[in-house]
Amino acid sequence: MRLIIKENPASASEYVANLIAARINAFKPTAEKPFVLGLPTGSTPLKVYSHLIHLHQSGRLSFRHVVTFNMDEYVSLPSSHPQSYHTFMYTHLFSHIDIPASSVHILNGCAADLIAECSAYEAAIRSYGGIDLFLAGVGADGHIAFNEPGSSLASRTRVKTLAKETLVDNARFFEGDVAKVPKLALTVGVGTVMDAREVVVVALGANKARAVKAAVEGKVGHWETVSVVQMHPRAVVVVDEDATTELRVGTVRYFREIEEEMEAGGAGVVTAKL
Amino acid sequence: MFAHGDIETTTRPAMTYSPNDLIKLTNCRLALGDNLIPGDLWICASTGKIIDQQTVFYEQTIRPSSVHDLGGRILAPGLIDVQLNGGWGFDFSVPTERAQDFKDGVEMVNRQLIKTGVTSYLPTIISSKNDVYEKNLPFLSQPKDRNPTSGAESLGAHCEGPFLNPFKNGIHNKSVLQPPVNGISSLASVYGAANLRPETIAMITLAPEQPGALSAISELSKLGIISSGGHSNATYREMWHAVSSGVTMVTHMFNAMEQPHHRSPGIFGILGAQEGLKRPYYGIIADDIHVHPSFVRVAHGAHPEGTILVTDAMRMLGLPDGIYEWTNGERIKKTGGKLTLGEGDTIAGSSVTLVECLKNFVNWTGVSVAEGIKTVTETPAKMLGIEDRKGTLRPGADADLVVLNEAVGGDGQLMLTVEKVYKFGAEVYNAGDKARL
Repeated sequence: MRLIIKENPASASEYVANLIAARINAFKPTAEKPFVLGLPTGSTPLKVYSHLIHLHQSGRLSFRHVVTFNMDEYVSLPSSHPQSYHTFMYTHLFSHIDIPASSVHILNGCAADLIAECSAYEAAIRSYGGIDLFLAGVGADGHIAFNEPGSSLASRTRVKTLAKETLVDNARFFEGDVAKVPKLALTVGVGTVMDAREVVVVALGANKARAVKAAVEGKVGHWETVSVVQMHPRAVVVVDEDATTELRVGTVRYFREIEEEMEAGGAGVVTAKL
Repeated sequence: MFAHGDIETTTRPAMTYSPNDLIKLTNCRLALGDNLIPGDLWICASTGKIIDQQTVFYEQTIRPSSVHDLGGRILAPGLIDVQLNGGWGFDFSVPTERAQDFKDGVEMVNRQLIKTGVTSYLPTIISSKNDVYEKNLPFLSQPKDRNPTSGAESLGAHCEGPFLNPFKNGIHNKSVLQPPVNGISSLASVYGAANLRPETIAMITLAPEQPGALSAISELSKLGIISSGGHSNATYREMWHAVSSGVTMVTHMFNAMEQPHHRSPGIFGILGAQEGLKRPYYGIIADDIHVHPSFVRVAHGAHPEGTILVTDAMRMLGLPDGIYEWTNGERIKKTGGKLTLGEGDTIAGSSVTLVECLKNFVNWTGVSVAEGIKTVTETPAKMLGIEDRKGTLRPGADADLVVLNEAVGGDGQLMLTVEKVYKFGAEVYNAGDKARL
């Protein structure tokens, strides 16, 4: 695992956007061989998306041959609802870039048969040969996608009951009424994320510090599902200074030194520079 | 950028679109609520409506094939003027010898008017004899088709009089004024019973204190026709009863009514009404002649949801200074933007454009441009009960749009100019094209 520590949320987000752009451009995607990107919603990726839009608008990045798969969607919430993840993605990314509408995949939480919808989603990912890069945020309790504490680390795309804490936390988006928050969601599984050829986890701010500790220093376990990235052959965790406050000084120093070496080109690894 | 949460979306598009039918207006500042929000708007040339872009993107997986870059300019709903008497030498209150000439005149005004950013309006007939209504109303009704090249669209006529108070006649000829003593029957005998439908007459200005007026007002609300109080010396209490009976609008606030006095607030005082009364909308002429800027600000401060800017412009709009023939053999003098009756100084309507009023209003009140835009789009649409299809950028509404350029003059004052106009999804005016010719 690589741990990249940046000074603030803006520089961390810019780093992630540049990394994604570098991967897409290096891949040289075509119509026959598109780059397959997994995407999250939430407040964490907002600045990443705005920098991706900037890269696109300044002519340095095209999504014409990029196919996307989103992590999750609420069940029974119309896709046009202001709080749906469809709306989030359209508002904050898809409406600003040149991605063909047919290349966008988001789970349909209004499908008549939710189980079939989940299987079809897994099949669609397989049909593109799997995901090249999965971008993920992380919850304060260490969950990725809607894989809340206790989710199987081998889980696949499925229907999930949301924890009461999540409902209460999300009520602010639903007129402050917990009763209006959808109780179920469709989400990719931990296993689905782990199948991607590269996983990039972003964590910003002090309230994510415990999750970062779990991901970097904790033991692999289903209570903080993000910890499973330790098992991934190509995982990058990108954080800002505030998100490192629960890490040991030695851990921070260790990863900083490694990155300095890499920046110097000693390891000969492709870095996120464009 | 799509304005998150501000544009309501419907669950499913009513039809299947082709990318060739769709136009994306990009790099706009959308007049949404009280703010200008950077974003895009999708419109459909074949339906003439604003499109729910997110739903079309996800469910039909298409994008518009045509993109218009507005270069950061303001994109607002097309302006709505609920009081316009004519323009470019043509008067909606004066019948022509041949009916065809009247029809041609209205069509000419419609094509000129749209260049000023007004995409729909209420052609207004001032107090007239019965035959005028019979002859002119058929040509001032809502059109049956949706043709962008016809220009500005009538939303139905505004009949200003003749059921006015003769002491507040303004420039209306006293000899044709009358009280509606038999309520709605009096109205039917003047306008023609068949014309008492909102498609033909959208709004009637009448003096609510006149005998029979309250009964006429409650009948008009059943017919779906707006009653507006005006040319009236109603007291506060009389106006309160009028609003309770169904008056939802005030015609050109401050003009042709008792002036507000702190112990006798008159019609103006209704803007401060409580007692559970739903306060009426009110037209106001922000041409810097009819009402002092201070009182425009006071009125808007008292009841901002009710403010509707109107021009009350007449046929001198767009003509040079001079003396012009007026109805019933009288004359009107045009000096710049000022119109006066005969040799006196009675104000006789205006020759101002609505976008000039908007510019004045924003400069005088200090509200945001977007909040100002509401007074000529969303608020008049709500007053008329058509806010689902006019005066809004929401999906499903008619794609009647105006592109405004915003600049600050040497005096530090805001300037607004009409750059482009869309009617039913088609670009019908482009100031840049004219400049190139």
